[in-house]
Amino acid sequence: MHIEQITMLGHKDHGKSTLIGSLLMSTGSATEERIDDARNTSKRLGRQFEPAYILDAFSEEREGGLTIDTARAQVKYKGKAFEFIDVPGHEELIKNMLSGASYANTAVLVVSAARGEGIMPQTKRHLFLAKMLGIEHFVIAINKMDAVQYSQDAYEPLRNEIAAYLDSIGVHSQRVNFVPISAYSFDNLVSKSKNMQWYRGKALMDLLLTCHSKNVAEDMALRAIVQGTVETESGMAYTAKILSGKIETGSTVRILPLGKRVVVKSLYVKGKKAKNAKAEENIAIGVSQDMGNIRGSIISNSAQTKVAKAISTMLFFVKPVSGAAELRFNGNKTNGTITVDRIIDTTTGSPKSTQKPKALDAGECIIRLNGKVAVEEFSSFRGLGRFVFYKNDEFAGIGVIEKVLG
Amino acid sequence: MIEQNLDELEEKSIYIMREAKERFKNVAALWSMGKDSTTMLALARKAFMGKVPFPIIHIDNGIDFPETYEFREKLAKQWKLNLIVQKSEIKPEMSGYACCGANKTVALKKVMKEYGFDALIVSIRRDEHGIRGKERYISPRTKDFKWKYKNQPAELWNDYSSKLDKGGHIRVHPLLDWNEIDIWNYIKREKVPINSLYFSRDGTRYRSLGCTHCTVPIKSNADNIDKIINELKNTKVEERSGRQQDKETAYIMEKLRALGYM
Repeated sequence: MHIEQITMLGHKDHGKSTLIGSLLMSTGSATEERIDDARNTSKRLGRQFEPAYILDAFSEEREGGLTIDTARAQVKYKGKAFEFIDVPGHEELIKNMLSGASYANTAVLVVSAARGEGIMPQTKRHLFLAKMLGIEHFVIAINKMDAVQYSQDAYEPLRNEIAAYLDSIGVHSQRVNFVPISAYSFDNLVSKSKNMQWYRGKALMDLLLTCHSKNVAEDMALRAIVQGTVETESGMAYTAKILSGKIETGSTVRILPLGKRVVVKSLYVKGKKAKNAKAEENIAIGVSQDMGNIRGSIISNSAQTKVAKAISTMLFFVKPVSGAAELRFNGNKTNGTITVDRIIDTTTGSPKSTQKPKALDAGECIIRLNGKVAVEEFSSFRGLGRFVFYKNDEFAGIGVIEKVLG
Repeated sequence: MIEQNLDELEEKSIYIMREAKERFKNVAALWSMGKDSTTMLALARKAFMGKVPFPIIHIDNGIDFPETYEFREKLAKQWKLNLIVQKSEIKPEMSGYACCGANKTVALKKVMKEYGFDALIVSIRRDEHGIRGKERYISPRTKDFKWKYKNQPAELWNDYSSKLDKGGHIRVHPLLDWNEIDIWNYIKREKVPINSLYFSRDGTRYRSLGCTHCTVPIKSNADNIDKIINELKNTKVEERSGRQQDKETAYIMEKLRALGYM
């Protein structure tokens, strides 16, 4: 069955892992053994029962009370399946947060209503990043309502501030659901809480039932990434993963950035000869012309796929970088030079009056590429419009292509 | 237990295995003759035109079940596997953590060094254990086989950026997304040959296979694949509940994995 992948977002200690743990328990999705293990760990550490230990498995996570790395948990609810992706809320662990959140189409932002918590830097930064990653659906869970006597007065200001921020980064807040919850006390998780009669909406899991991710359309133009080569009975073939559209034997396809057109002579899917193949499938194709090593090339029959020498981008800096950097498109490396146009504070969404990025800033940047790369604008096709970048072999951030400059 | 889409899982695994074959010079895969690593071999045959293109390592402590050895010989022949059997030494006074940690890992280090493998395909799944749930698809190990789990590389957008530590190797996890029940649904659909120990005899069967010393069977009457799938649909018990080395003390799997255990 289809599984909707949902990432948690939010500042550290606002209750992301606890919420997933509680959802696993209240939907009957965790085994007794995992729950017992969490219970025993809580006891051993002299703490109140902590559902987060179902997810936080490392000793450092349990003893330190934080999530270090991303984990996943599957939940079945009213005939639908969900996979919750837990992520760390510490800013220094943002590369792990990105590694988890990048797989999701839906996000649940967890914001603590407890005194002294509220909207914090990672609350807004995670929303900014989720928008950048292309996440389509958002649900905002205002957590720890039990710590503020379930008061609507504590809830409303948080709700309003987040709604305004969502609008400012281009997520229509009117299409976003907000729900007051307590992950510890199971309020408004799967059934409506009697503690908050003032809340007229649905419980969290029921809100998530309405989030459907769009399928990659098979009726789109063909796009595929060349992975390498494999030996077949009819000689050497190129291996590739189809991102969109279809391919069939006898058809002509365009290989970029070479700009060559070749005929598909033979096609293999799952190790067997086939007549055609579609999006998401891994193929091997024998073609009319040997092009040597073309790993990382793009097979595309879309006019939107262009060979770029420069791109206009939005970058998120895990490490501050300008000038030379290494870009990786679907794992394939190209060197480029980054010029910053405008820096954006990811905790406010507003521009900064500097052109020097700091770690965790975003930036509108022009990148000149040393080699030719086949890419697409993120808005026209995500799989070819995004990249990660490295500096001195260290992960330095992620980027999306706003415009291909030719 | 949620049953996922087998075609989607299959495609993800094929992509990861092909990526490993392209990225690394000398790839090998571990085979325990269990259901997961046997499914991995079936997937490799799909990824590479009916052939398993890399050597297959069995870390053999000499105390696996007779059925397991029989199955190994039969399938190795049938699928023309390039099989490397690396003996590991069992000391009678050791069991559980000490045994798995010392013997299996020492033997693995030896064979990796001897053949110069730089990447090792391991058929772990996220749903097996909380610690395995924290793994990346492509994950570096140091030259001492340590897993630096507190600082794992970023992994997103088809960029498996792990770089090789000097003298270290890469673990490749093509089955990370699969659930236990998906493995069985796939074995059924693809008619993957399977070790007979998984099927019930006299009211018990093995749900997870290790060596004869530390593996305990579960009560079950599931004597065919359909019955196993049915059993898993309703189970509330963890798959590895019959595996002693997982449970001795807190954080045992973390310690084992940090030491280089599979």
